[in-house]
Amino acid sequence: MTDETVSKAVRISPHLSTDGQGFKQLMEAALAWLQRHQAVINALNVYPVPDGDTGTNMVLTMQSAWTEIKDSPERSVGRIVHQMAHGALMGARGNSGVILSQIWRGFARSLDGKEVYRAQDLAAACREATTTAYKGVVKPVEGTILTVARAIADAATRAVEETEDLVRILEHMVFAAHEAVMLTPSLLPVLAEAGVVDAGGQGLFVILEGMLRYMRGEQVAEDGQLVQSVDLITTGLEPGEIGYGYDVQFLILGQELDMDAIRQKIVEMGECPLIVGTPDTVKVHVHVSDPGVPLSYGASLGSLRDVVVEDMQAQYKDFIVNSELSRSTSSQISQEIGVIAVVLGDGLARVFQSLGVGAIVHGGQTMNPSTQDLLDAIEKLPAKQAILLPNNGNVIPTAEQARALSTKPVAVVPTRSIPQGIAALLAVNYQADFETNVAAMAEAMEEIETGEVTTATRSATINGLEIADGQIIGLHDGELKVTGTTVEQVVCALLKEMNQTQREIITLYYGDTVSESDANALADLLQQEWPDQEVEVVAGGQPHYLYVLSVE
Amino acid sequence: MPEVQYWGRIEVSPTAIASIANEAVLTCYGVVGTAAKGLAAGIVNVLSRDSKRGIEVRIEDGRIIIDVYVIIEYGTRIAAVALSVMNVVKFSVERALGIPVTEVNVHVEGLRVSDTD
Repeated sequence: MTDETVSKAVRISPHLSTDGQGFKQLMEAALAWLQRHQAVINALNVYPVPDGDTGTNMVLTMQSAWTEIKDSPERSVGRIVHQMAHGALMGARGNSGVILSQIWRGFARSLDGKEVYRAQDLAAACREATTTAYKGVVKPVEGTILTVARAIADAATRAVEETEDLVRILEHMVFAAHEAVMLTPSLLPVLAEAGVVDAGGQGLFVILEGMLRYMRGEQVAEDGQLVQSVDLITTGLEPGEIGYGYDVQFLILGQELDMDAIRQKIVEMGECPLIVGTPDTVKVHVHVSDPGVPLSYGASLGSLRDVVVEDMQAQYKDFIVNSELSRSTSSQISQEIGVIAVVLGDGLARVFQSLGVGAIVHGGQTMNPSTQDLLDAIEKLPAKQAILLPNNGNVIPTAEQARALSTKPVAVVPTRSIPQGIAALLAVNYQADFETNVAAMAEAMEEIETGEVTTATRSATINGLEIADGQIIGLHDGELKVTGTTVEQVVCALLKEMNQTQREIITLYYGDTVSESDANALADLLQQEWPDQEVEVVAGGQPHYLYVLSVE
Repeated sequence: MPEVQYWGRIEVSPTAIASIANEAVLTCYGVVGTAAKGLAAGIVNVLSRDSKRGIEVRIEDGRIIIDVYVIIEYGTRIAAVALSVMNVVKFSVERALGIPVTEVNVHVEGLRVSDTD
């Protein structure tokens, strides 16, 4: 979330070969990732027949391929791929499914008899896959999955001249696939008219992206089960959860540029990093939430050329909106949903920003924002619909008032704490419509339990607990539950109160009066106490509360 | 088939419909050619680009019925390809003419084997 806590996959050694079992895992990841994107791909489907089933057909085809190999102990990649291709053929559904099965058929033929595949084998297999796919039609139509397949094969062929690392090569392939998909509307007018990219091409891109995510140790399946652990280490947040953010590309012109150092740095910054070039020209591509970070870094090394920054969220939404519009004008469309969060503290504001919040209104405990503050934020928000996250019980009535007064459609997801707000924000799906999002956010918010630790400002008796002025007190979901003389004591008692053994992640947001080393020391203590849970520390910078805790 | 308008008529001949269908079929993935009905596999015009011999259009009681005779690439799932031929032909003709197509019958006249595996 903050710079300290976001760390990305750290690669240890290059991945030089893939055997049958390795490929099996790639297929599983590809299928899982494709399933997650099925609805989006369906929505893109306008060619050849706009029946909105491309995603479903590709998933069913991949499922059939996967079923064929999922229990196979086969170690030879040639045989596994052959079985998989057979499965794809037998289960091919729809136009895109048939093409996909031909792609796998060519891929399999090229790997026939191989125990493992290496860089050159992969490139050859991709070329054969493309050739086979093109053979299946008299008049190949460009701007479809075929075009994307060819771009992938070309990229693989070029990549193997530079590296033998299969992860790198796959990065190039995914990058090329993405570019080819983006170009499909310029090749196929019907796509441009509908304002979409080709659905099948997008599907193929997603399949490769799923494989790449797996190889990089990023999350693929929704339950987070499918994570590579062999030669990759992942820690921290899943970058994919943050959303799309910006697609940043630029060239660095300089002298004796250190590609490895640049790569390492860029990989830390965001998703889908791609760093290629020579010591005096380096091409950088990365998906980040803040485009300024990679750009400033690049500028510190040399002069920048061909800077392209694209808002992927907007692009994506445009596609969805247009394709929905072309089909039905009555259905609810998720056009430009913006989220407004009420947050106190710079650190927490940064956390919300990194998660893609549309606007932040400063306020919270003892500093409630006015209805006008919220209204202003709603009106200024460049979105048609706004979702408010009050993040404090006292702010909810104000938010409701703002909702009633606004001219835009506004929903209030009644988050009572910062952790609830974060959970709700993570549940936002910009491809889904307004109601679905509000429901999903409200549900996600319930999954989180919040603890707050602060110092009593007066003596009182609440909930049968006697509190003295200056004592440390702990609240669980807004209710006073524990008191004590030391912070550690209260935090531990509070976590016990929160029944946290059932949960997986403890997050500590430390306040403006707490030092980072104190927070880390407390985190270490908690980690010893609860070795099975993951403890994360985030600089919240909130006033009043020494610590805000969340367990999920 | 005639479509009566206030100021006159537009007639679209079955041959024109066949041309539309033929174009659609040839861009359809998995189809490597059309074939004249009933011809032996050896002499079919596998790569016929402009021939409409593989398409038969009949108008019965104002309903359009299209029969397509195709050669399909060996190694594809024939049922899936045939289904997609039906969809594509129906969609293309209806989009071009605005008249519903009642039936599209796909006859697989042969397979082209370009690779065996």
